[in-house]
Amino acid sequence: MSEFKPILTEHIKDDDCHSLSFYKKAGGYTALKLALKMKPEDVIEEVKSSNLRGRGGAGFSAGLKWTFIPKDTAKPKYLINNADESEPGTFKDRLLINKAPHQMLEGMIIASYAINCNTAFIYIRGEFYKEYQQLKKTITEAYEANLLGKGILGSDYNLDVVIHRGAGAYICGEETGLIESLEGKRGWPRLKPPFPAIEGYLRCPTIVNNVETLSCVPHIINRGAEWFKSIGPEKGPGPRLFCVSGRVNNPGVFEEEMGISLEDLIFKRAGGIPDGKKLKAVFPGGSSSAILTADEAMDVKMDFDDLVAKKSMLGSAGVIVMDETVNMVQACLNIARFYAHESCGQCTPCREGTMWLVKILQRLVAGEGKDTDIDMLLEITDNIGGLIDFSKGSFGKTICPFGEAVAWPVRSFVEKFETEFRSCIHEKLVLA
Amino acid sequence: MNSKSIAKEKFVFKDMVKVENILSNYPDKKSATLPLLHLAQSQDGYITTGAINTIADLLDYHPAIVMDCVSFYTMLYTKAQGKYKVQICQTLSCSLNGADALVDHMQNKCGIKAGETTPDEKYTLMKVECLGSCGTAPVVQINNDYHEGLSIEKFDALLENLE
Amino acid sequence: MPFIKIDNTEFEVSKDKTVLEVALENNIEIPHYCYHPALEIAGSCRMCLVEIEGMPKLQVSCNTFIGEVHPDRKIDGKYDMVVHTQNELVTKERKNILEFLLLNHPLDCPVCDQAGECDLQDYSFKFGNAHSRFDEDKRVRPNEYLGSQIAINHNRCILCSRCTRFTREVSGTSELFVEQRGYNSKIAIMEDNPLDNLLAGNVTDICPVGALLSTDYIHKNRIWNLKRQPSVCQDCSVGCNIDVFSQKDKIIRLTPRENHKVNGYFMCDIGRYGFHKYENIERITSPLHKTNGAFSKINWDRAINKIVDKLKTNVSKTAAIASSFHTNETNYMLGRFFQGLIGTFPSTQDKEITYPSGFRISGDRSPNKRGMNDLCPQIVKDLPSEIKKQKIRGIYILDNGIDTELDDTWKKILDKMDFVIVQSYIMTPLAKSADIILPGLAPFESEGTITNDRGHVQWLRPSLPVEGEGRPDWEILNLIDKTENRYIDINDLMKDMGKQFPSYSDISLFKLGDRGISLSEIAKS
Repeated sequence: MSEFKPILTEHIKDDDCHSLSFYKKAGGYTALKLALKMKPEDVIEEVKSSNLRGRGGAGFSAGLKWTFIPKDTAKPKYLINNADESEPGTFKDRLLINKAPHQMLEGMIIASYAINCNTAFIYIRGEFYKEYQQLKKTITEAYEANLLGKGILGSDYNLDVVIHRGAGAYICGEETGLIESLEGKRGWPRLKPPFPAIEGYLRCPTIVNNVETLSCVPHIINRGAEWFKSIGPEKGPGPRLFCVSGRVNNPGVFEEEMGISLEDLIFKRAGGIPDGKKLKAVFPGGSSSAILTADEAMDVKMDFDDLVAKKSMLGSAGVIVMDETVNMVQACLNIARFYAHESCGQCTPCREGTMWLVKILQRLVAGEGKDTDIDMLLEITDNIGGLIDFSKGSFGKTICPFGEAVAWPVRSFVEKFETEFRSCIHEKLVLA
Repeated sequence: MNSKSIAKEKFVFKDMVKVENILSNYPDKKSATLPLLHLAQSQDGYITTGAINTIADLLDYHPAIVMDCVSFYTMLYTKAQGKYKVQICQTLSCSLNGADALVDHMQNKCGIKAGETTPDEKYTLMKVECLGSCGTAPVVQINNDYHEGLSIEKFDALLENLE
Repeated sequence: MPFIKIDNTEFEVSKDKTVLEVALENNIEIPHYCYHPALEIAGSCRMCLVEIEGMPKLQVSCNTFIGEVHPDRKIDGKYDMVVHTQNELVTKERKNILEFLLLNHPLDCPVCDQAGECDLQDYSFKFGNAHSRFDEDKRVRPNEYLGSQIAINHNRCILCSRCTRFTREVSGTSELFVEQRGYNSKIAIMEDNPLDNLLAGNVTDICPVGALLSTDYIHKNRIWNLKRQPSVCQDCSVGCNIDVFSQKDKIIRLTPRENHKVNGYFMCDIGRYGFHKYENIERITSPLHKTNGAFSKINWDRAINKIVDKLKTNVSKTAAIASSFHTNETNYMLGRFFQGLIGTFPSTQDKEITYPSGFRISGDRSPNKRGMNDLCPQIVKDLPSEIKKQKIRGIYILDNGIDTELDDTWKKILDKMDFVIVQSYIMTPLAKSADIILPGLAPFESEGTITNDRGHVQWLRPSLPVEGEGRPDWEILNLIDKTENRYIDINDLMKDMGKQFPSYSDISLFKLGDRGISLSEIAKS
């Protein structure tokens, strides 16, 4: 496997990589200078034609989202950098914030310029305290160097950046939940439509982008959309930070081009599974994706479209590896419990359904299963969120994709490891 | 809309300059709810009713709406906690890498269950969900600091060394 | 104008309406909980899901706005939207949402106040499964008081959030909030700010299940035992439309009725619980005559004859007192019969309270000052000085029904009178000062019309049977009139009233119906 030359994480091994002086020496803020000479709509066009897709989980085209901002409104526009990384299995944004904060900031400034926004926010999860301190320093450095504030780099563009700490809620990573939280309320997602690009923060046009997505932007401006498109599959290109964790020898963040094979990622980059154990199942895109069995995993390219074809999703590229020592029922319960804990409680199916799943799984794990449990689990997941095979089921039962986020993994566990689930009932073993 | 409730316990922000800065950061002052709650919590260790009333007054909010916000987030506490909040991640990657053993260890060592505080108010044990550092599992957050890749021995030493 | 089809019916609708609004306006049932026309859209209960052709997901009809589409995209060439509310997919999803709602809901129907008027019951029966598949332990929490009049049974709550939105948007008092999140969410109050504002009672009406309960009504009765009578509240000059629920001779509860010209969807607690003040009063149930300082019963004929005699000999020395607590018809009769001096007691002015949603409690706590002034225009401003000037010897009074002591001025005036006749249903200090008392009707027994302070005329309807020998107040005045001008019935009266007062022309009880008519409408027609 040829070594991919890192783009986003090129300098992270350097001690000083987070500082402005280092970043400038390495060529940083060249893209900003270029962008400020372009028309904002041309910046949008460049990012759009690069086919950059969101790296937070939804995978929507970033440039296309920027075009949704209405041109003819007097309302102020806002950019929000979604640094509320809470998807289990995902830890790449933390790395970027710690080791390449200026790269992310440059992306933010360019994006804000493109959509005519003068106030941008970084919504960072509350637990990332060290990262918050780092960001404060980064922002201060930027203001002092005229990269933020009034008349950036001698242009007539002004931008202020405000860092806003979250306080422990996964649902505040969902863009409308984030906006509600930023407005000072509980993080209950909003009904869509209206979409944030039309009515977001304070009912003004708002764009929410992920840390990694924004970090790609300077490179696109520097080296062009065509260059970006040439990295990996054209429909969803670019460098990507893949997180591998769980039962692997070398867990960590690996920058590869989109489309790397999952097998390579697990066995070559992450050093394979300890103690010579065999792969059993893997989450390809954070815990909100459907799991893949070991066989399925061997045939997967880590890009948006291939994973959809395999009835899962790339999501946040948080790969969680489970080996033969992992009991699928317990793993399923662990994930279901996470979602029950993080459910915001606003809409009926999610609020009631996620805990129902947990209770059934708890009984199974305790050896108190019933014959009806398996079908019940499948039915409940279908009633909360839709099936991955769009032709079979229906969606829209919940206000936000959280319903699908709990339904897909739980359902995939039960469907793909049915025997293991059934053995919990019949053998009535009390598991560890 | 001024709050009509009586602040039984009075709360005053120690650093009003910081408060003013926070308020001036946002186009709408109600957005300052979370930052002010974090500030109040850093003062008292948890959020008192007085703090809620004070923040409600500053923001022209009813106290109930501030409380609505407080009770939604896991990092905001309405009761006093121990000096060290030992938050052990229990989501999948950490669970697969020994997080449960860390919980058991602390339960045995300190004689408390998850959610409880030791009688000397030094430690509170909390089981939390994904802390966003799965690559260095198992992860424990003590107050604001992450401690990653902990074995039971390292964890034990960590607890011992806390003053 | 957009043209849509819902199931098998076509509609032309105005722009920017939601599918649910159109359905409700046209009596198409789409079950829903969190939607309420007076509140912002929440879309959280997910009960109103429908299938809309062309949209991949099911949509909540409460948040699906109808607009015109490009001619190329019209369905079947003519529809801007086609909605299915009853097909297999939608029916299945409704069943599932109901199952989720009932998961932790206790099987309380036999002991729950809401039974018989419960949306959960009704929809379960129509759209739900016969039994629940939930085999686990239910979430159980103890009941609590949210205010002095409101209790909550948390186990029944379906978290539709109507109550919290009400306290934020309608009363603007924000007492209620949702505490915690997810499975553990519950409605709560701050300890030092309970739900005690004057609109609090409305939350028990808007709660679709038996979670929020009025302590005034808990376990008192069953909705199917009660008789429902639409009427109008008489506790202030706004005249909120209400439903009076009674059983035999007792009022059990009042709830608001929708009227966009008057009160919107709500009523205040002063009116809601106001019916209690008519319980346990010293009621006058027959004509009374005072001899040697004590009252004794006399029959109606004797009483009327005595009064007619007194009035004949003192016709220019008798004053009359109208009342804003009486109907238009009664005040009209008074003005018609007493050609001389007419006035009123001084009225008290309470605080006027307005809420963010526009709901208003008037400072004038009498129901019909406007009507009284309209139909008895000869009312003078300063009655005491006129009484002195004109050397009045006798007074005929319509009692306000307020059980308070008279002020000194009036005590002196009445003391000096040769005769005082009072029409009242309750033995107030004023009534005690009378020589003859004629028993009128209590507020929930009378029928007639009243005009609110914005000129809206409404039909006051009786809910309780008449007590003792009481008579409608207008009829008592009709009995005193021994001429051929007497009216046969109230409709006869109203016809004539309309002729005498053109602003009230053509008003009949039938025309007023449930919603009343405003004077400006009458003037236009």
